[in-house]
Amino acid sequence: MNRLVPFLSRYWAVLLLVVVWHAWVTLGDLNSIVLPAPLPVLADVVTHPALYLTNAAQTMATALAGVAIGVLLGAFVAILAWASRLLAGLLTPLGLIFSSVPIVALIPILARVLGYDISTVVAIVAVSAFFPTFVFTGAGLRDLPRATDDLFKVLGATPWGRLRHLVLPATVPNVMISLRLTVPEGVLAAILAEFLMGRSGLGFMFREAASRFAMERALGTSLVVTLAAVLFFTLAHRAERAVKARWS
Amino acid sequence: MPDIPQTECREAIALRAAGKAFALDDGGSVVALDGIDISIREGEFVAILGPSGCGKSTVLRLVAGLETATSGTVHIEGRAPAELAAHHRLGVAFQDHALLPWLSVSDNVALPFRVARKPVARDTIARLIALVGLSGFENARPSQLSGGMRQRASIARALALDPDVLLLDEPFGALDAVTRRHMNIELQRIWSARTLTTVLVTHSVEEALFLADRIIVMTGRPGRVLRDVAVPFARPRTPEALRTAQFHAMVDDLTRALEPQG
Repeated sequence: MNRLVPFLSRYWAVLLLVVVWHAWVTLGDLNSIVLPAPLPVLADVVTHPALYLTNAAQTMATALAGVAIGVLLGAFVAILAWASRLLAGLLTPLGLIFSSVPIVALIPILARVLGYDISTVVAIVAVSAFFPTFVFTGAGLRDLPRATDDLFKVLGATPWGRLRHLVLPATVPNVMISLRLTVPEGVLAAILAEFLMGRSGLGFMFREAASRFAMERALGTSLVVTLAAVLFFTLAHRAERAVKARWS
Repeated sequence: MPDIPQTECREAIALRAAGKAFALDDGGSVVALDGIDISIREGEFVAILGPSGCGKSTVLRLVAGLETATSGTVHIEGRAPAELAAHHRLGVAFQDHALLPWLSVSDNVALPFRVARKPVARDTIARLIALVGLSGFENARPSQLSGGMRQRASIARALALDPDVLLLDEPFGALDAVTRRHMNIELQRIWSARTLTTVLVTHSVEEALFLADRIIVMTGRPGRVLRDVAVPFARPRTPEALRTAQFHAMVDDLTRALEPQG
């Protein structure tokens, strides 16, 4: 009882959704091809753990690899733009144009250029993570603690010493913000890419199941996708909070 | 007393007819400093006293190499301030403590070593942290310290590389009166332990009188040297020195000098 009350107060909306879903299917007497009830969906997940786990693991690994590449590249290019006014003038408009192109529009182009395999999915996720990181890291590089710039000048810091001991550490919280923003985005981009052009992973699994009207399987995939996205967001959010506490 | 070396009377810092004008956006300019002549001997503690906006911080920024004079010259040991900064011979503490929030106290004090790419002298850092009374807080981060403790850490950092010149820009300006007085007593004790050429910028008459060998009083718009006053109190100075009649007389005299004319 002591644990039940906080659980209910936190997740009542989710439970309500499941109850409404169940009521809608039962009262409307819907065919499972239109919409299956919650329990058969859950049963499909529980009875096929290996299938769901391997596909989920693949999607998560793809998303993580893509986010890692995108964040590292975004931070690196932000540092280049910070170091050189010429590069900043070159890269910033490009960044703005690319960040306003929807990822859905980029997927067919990238797939045609890079081929229809898993490395393309990684590339798509990396592109989705690149621009938010570029923008947030760029802002962090210019946001230094008060008077520290003067301090480093009086201490006789070289440009490299200033970058290493002041500018890079100062921007770590902003890199964590980009991570928190791009990780759920990366999971979404990975699934979308798998759905549109993949041959494996949760996105492909959903498309394959939906195309043969295996709605329990399709909705089971959605359920796993949702859980994974929530898990990743929670982890990224915690990491950001921990870094923020250490940095202030 | 051991024999005093010849270098004792050498000139450490020299401003000759130094002027600073800042360009304004509308194309005009504002004169912050006009023909400043200041000479500071090696090992001397000089306070620059003046109301806010009199250009006293600009004097310190010229000496720190953070600004360049638009007329006249500024030299430390016969060289340009930026040259001394590049050789890591300047120590500085600002009103903003400028501690790096992600580093512990001891890592902040070690920062000048890292910036100068010198091996971190752990024993020096421990000694400095003890000197400023922060023993036991080596691993604390700045956000876990009080305002006064942060300023102590920033003074320990300023002393880390045993600089030729120590520059203090209102280091206690943001502290309350009680903490400030306490910090002055501490700084007096620290300075007695290691005499080095020091420039302190302050708007507090008591602080200047308690700490300095000599006080340079400035007036504003444009900044000029108004008076150059030697402080007669013997060292080491104790809080009792703050209560003598002579101290109060000098406070009154200097406070009057700071009041706007007319």
